[in-house]
Amino acid sequence: MWQFIGRRVALGVLTIFITTVAVTLLIHLVPGDPVQIMYAQSQGTTPEQIEQIRTSLGLDRSIPEQYVRFVGRLLEGDLGVTVRGRQPVLDLLLQRLPNTLALAFSAMAVAAVLGLPLGFLAAYRRGTMLDTALMTLAIAGVSVPHFWLGLLLLFAFAVELQWLPVAGTGPLNLVLPALTLGLSNAAIVARMTRSSMIDVMSQDFVRTAHAKGLPKAMVLERHVLRAGLVPIITMAGLQFAAMMGGAIVVENIFAWNGVGRLAIEAIFQRDYPMIQGFILVFATVVVVMSILLDVVYALVDPRIRRG
Amino acid sequence: MLADQTTADLASSPLETGRPEARSGFAARLFRSPGGIIGLAIIALLVILAVFADSLAPFSPTRMGAGRRLLEPSWRHLAGTDEFGRDMFSRIVHGARLTLKIGAIAVGISLAAGLTIGLIAAYARGIVEAVLMRLSDVLFSFTETLIALACVAVLGPSLENAMVAVGLAGIPYYARTAYASALVEVSKPYFEAAIAAGAGPVRLVLLHLLPNILPTMVVVATLGLSSAILAAAGLSFLGLGAQPPAPEWGAMLSAGRDFFNRAPWLMLYPGLSIALVVLAFNLLGDAMREALDPRGAD
Amino acid sequence: MKQSIRKALVSAAATILLGGIAPAASARDIVWARYGDMDTLDPHRATSTLSLQVWSLVYDTLLAVDATGKPVPNVARSWTTSTDGTEYTFKLNEGVVCHDGTPLDANDVKYTVDRAFDTSNPSLTKASWGPVTSVEVIDPLTVTIKLDKPFVALVPFLADSFSSIICDSSKDAPGFGSTAAIGSGPWKFVSWTKGDRIVLTGNTSYRNFGKLAENKGAPYMEGLVITTVPEPQARLAGLKTGAIQIAEPPLDDVPALKQSGDLKIVIAGNTGQNVFWEFAVHRPPFNDPRARRAVAHATDAAAAIDLIYGDLSLPEKCPISRGVFGNDQEFCARHGQSYDPEKARALLAELGYGPDKPLEVTMIAWTGGKRDKLAEVFQSQLAEVGITARIEIMDIGTMNARVRQENEKRDGIGSLDMMTWSWFDPDILYALWHSPGAYRGYTSSELDAMLEKTRVLSDQAEREAAVRDVMAYLLENAIHVPLYTPGWEWVFAVRPEVTGFKVAPFVYPVFNDVRF
Repeated sequence: MWQFIGRRVALGVLTIFITTVAVTLLIHLVPGDPVQIMYAQSQGTTPEQIEQIRTSLGLDRSIPEQYVRFVGRLLEGDLGVTVRGRQPVLDLLLQRLPNTLALAFSAMAVAAVLGLPLGFLAAYRRGTMLDTALMTLAIAGVSVPHFWLGLLLLFAFAVELQWLPVAGTGPLNLVLPALTLGLSNAAIVARMTRSSMIDVMSQDFVRTAHAKGLPKAMVLERHVLRAGLVPIITMAGLQFAAMMGGAIVVENIFAWNGVGRLAIEAIFQRDYPMIQGFILVFATVVVVMSILLDVVYALVDPRIRRG
Repeated sequence: MLADQTTADLASSPLETGRPEARSGFAARLFRSPGGIIGLAIIALLVILAVFADSLAPFSPTRMGAGRRLLEPSWRHLAGTDEFGRDMFSRIVHGARLTLKIGAIAVGISLAAGLTIGLIAAYARGIVEAVLMRLSDVLFSFTETLIALACVAVLGPSLENAMVAVGLAGIPYYARTAYASALVEVSKPYFEAAIAAGAGPVRLVLLHLLPNILPTMVVVATLGLSSAILAAAGLSFLGLGAQPPAPEWGAMLSAGRDFFNRAPWLMLYPGLSIALVVLAFNLLGDAMREALDPRGAD
Repeated sequence: MKQSIRKALVSAAATILLGGIAPAASARDIVWARYGDMDTLDPHRATSTLSLQVWSLVYDTLLAVDATGKPVPNVARSWTTSTDGTEYTFKLNEGVVCHDGTPLDANDVKYTVDRAFDTSNPSLTKASWGPVTSVEVIDPLTVTIKLDKPFVALVPFLADSFSSIICDSSKDAPGFGSTAAIGSGPWKFVSWTKGDRIVLTGNTSYRNFGKLAENKGAPYMEGLVITTVPEPQARLAGLKTGAIQIAEPPLDDVPALKQSGDLKIVIAGNTGQNVFWEFAVHRPPFNDPRARRAVAHATDAAAAIDLIYGDLSLPEKCPISRGVFGNDQEFCARHGQSYDPEKARALLAELGYGPDKPLEVTMIAWTGGKRDKLAEVFQSQLAEVGITARIEIMDIGTMNARVRQENEKRDGIGSLDMMTWSWFDPDILYALWHSPGAYRGYTSSELDAMLEKTRVLSDQAEREAAVRDVMAYLLENAIHVPLYTPGWEWVFAVRPEVTGFKVAPFVYPVFNDVRF
């Protein structure tokens, strides 16, 4: 158990360490002079100002020195300021992070609520028309681009029918983005649930249970459901990461005010301090949440401890 | 972008494809699956459109005409015209070429790099294996979206850069799958026999490992095409990929949303095209997987 | 940092459980939706229209403009200029109160100018203040700005929100620019959720001395909420439901809206906005004026605008747009290049380009406002004469930097860009084209001398003649090829029950008179 948690945490620490290195290097990979790209706004910055900025960003030092400086500041909670408007990067990201997390978790909930029962149903009715229909729906669901689905939902429910608000960051505004992100994922969850349940149903202990004459419902509940859910729950960390990734696009469709919108804006504005901050915060959140989900799961299910 | 969902779906355990009996009858099983046939048919259509775009498209994909703005679909303009008076059908046809190119290049990058990393790790073992695979784990946990976005942020928005970004973002997944499949092969008797027979490392990897994991990787790449196409279209949708006047479907969809009221076809056809092609590769990939690994097939 | 992450997590949980807790706008609030957000509340740290519009609500300026764009008294009730033109003395109105309750006086003006010239962190628009050497507080209501050389564009600058007066109590306000802003404008700053909304409340002690509003006192409405809604169709839906009172509609829906009368359409006049071609002039092909003229002759701005904007925008013939001092369509048309693809082909042939050897160039344009679409039309027009342009669309900040880089590059394919500038005075031409040039582009000693004249001549007729000389030079050499005006954020749709909404020159919406 502790060994498992230790390994997960070690990998997480390694990931965050590599992120900090990558983020420091990122600015050096940019073709052209990043300082010029970032700061030559408006009425022309003077060469002295450019030099001053270079010094204040520490770009005049060696890369290892820059790295140490970056980490030092990071530990103080300082990720620098944005190019546009000189706002503290970390504050902006943390102000918006709750919205992104809310979207990712709501989408996971939608996916679970729809995907698990439908996947289970398909497995239970394996080989029937219902199974075929559900699985066709699922593969179609996986294939529909969610930026398209999102636009269709936006135009149908917010613009045309006006059932839901078009702007702002209230609970009603969360409905459409969460559905958009959740629906395509529900298809994935349904597919995984089905194959996992089928695996379990064909296993010996289930057959034995049936042979012992246990009522079908009881077999399902006691054995199939529990065992079948195991591989699905272990995917929760991965699912969460996928939802966070998907959120970046979906936020931009619905103007949901999360970190994904900040990131896309920053890319267009070549706002490198913001891009660096985003990558770091995003990676950290994904890593930490995945570890938490895995650890919680390991606590619940003793079998994982071998792993 | 978006790629995470379809690849996360594929079981991360390697398929049992090394057995010769699994491969015999592969084509027969593939063609018995309706999904596989539909997938193949759509892909064949896509390839035909891409290859013969110049003769199949009735109009130039970029030629504008002030008098032809926002025309509804008709016999003359099968998919209507856009706000510049360009023929949407011609743009969709030419877009097929771009879509195939994007998919092939992105998956090519992921597959080549992923195979190399996976095979080296599985063959070399020890410290090389540890470094390569931990690195893949790390990159994998970033999610493909983040890697692709970071690449575009560094390289700048363009179609070429989007392809590279999506390709790079896929490497960790391909590397992990190649590695897992190769590990299975390495432990098999034939491989040990080959070592005993004095085969050199290059020979072992290229003649023994590679051919045996290739079927798995082809399935992975087929499913990977769907996610790569989706991801690149997503980047173009956000304005980070294809630039005008390229008839790229994601970019067309994005441009069409301003006309949702007056010209819904501008949003409908590009979206439908992406969905169909992605569906086709998903169906084919699924069918191939089941055909290769009959255990899972119904 | 750990704490703030925990806070973020708790807050995420709260968002899920309770729903987002963005304060809903009350019935007494105006909701104005825009496609994007401001960069900062600090008037010295940004240049975007989205930022300036907000500053104009929160801060006052010494001068204001009338409906024609001419500077008039505002916080300053009068001003005098020394005979040599290097000292401007302003008499301030009594009774202007900062949002924190302190009276606005000469010290606040001095604080603002000194801050703009702070050597360690000067204003982004420092150069536009002119050669200011010092600011002297004569008495609480009298302040003198001293210059090194005469600078006639100071007066129009002091009427623009770039010169917003920051109350000196801002010095001690933590988070100035993001969580605090102390001005004396008609609206007080309450809160800003970046990317979502800016909440302002009416300044009950506001007195209007010169702003373009009939209301001489505080705004009629209690609050003003400025929200960000990027999707044009979503803004339109919000307008229709009444969740939004004022917003830029999807431009393609404007004719239909006008016809149905569901919403009122307000089109800003005298925007000062100028959209123009400029070129990387230090390398082939655009170091040759013939190549630049070829592009100008190949460009049919009228047709392109008609296709993309309908009648919402107009072709512009001058390097400074309608409403700015010195603009004269006829004069400029005589000196510029008219649409003539044959001439363009002939010029290209002279340079050795033809059907077999197209001229390949990069065309850079700014995102949004359908400028990307316009670029696509221009791309196809240029293709007609044998110029293959590769479009690159980018954010305006990036574009500014990129254009400068292109000018500094000595090799590579040719580059032209659809630059956009809005300014209230021909002094913009000095900023753009006087050595070393805003983008390190075209400069010459001849042009420098002409531009310098426009800065010092205080006689209006003499200055106008000098401005014309500059325009003729820019047009004949195809250095600044004007395309159209206005070009961004100039169309507003307003709900029918809303009265009193107007847009002052240079696209500053005024909400003082708004009632519903």
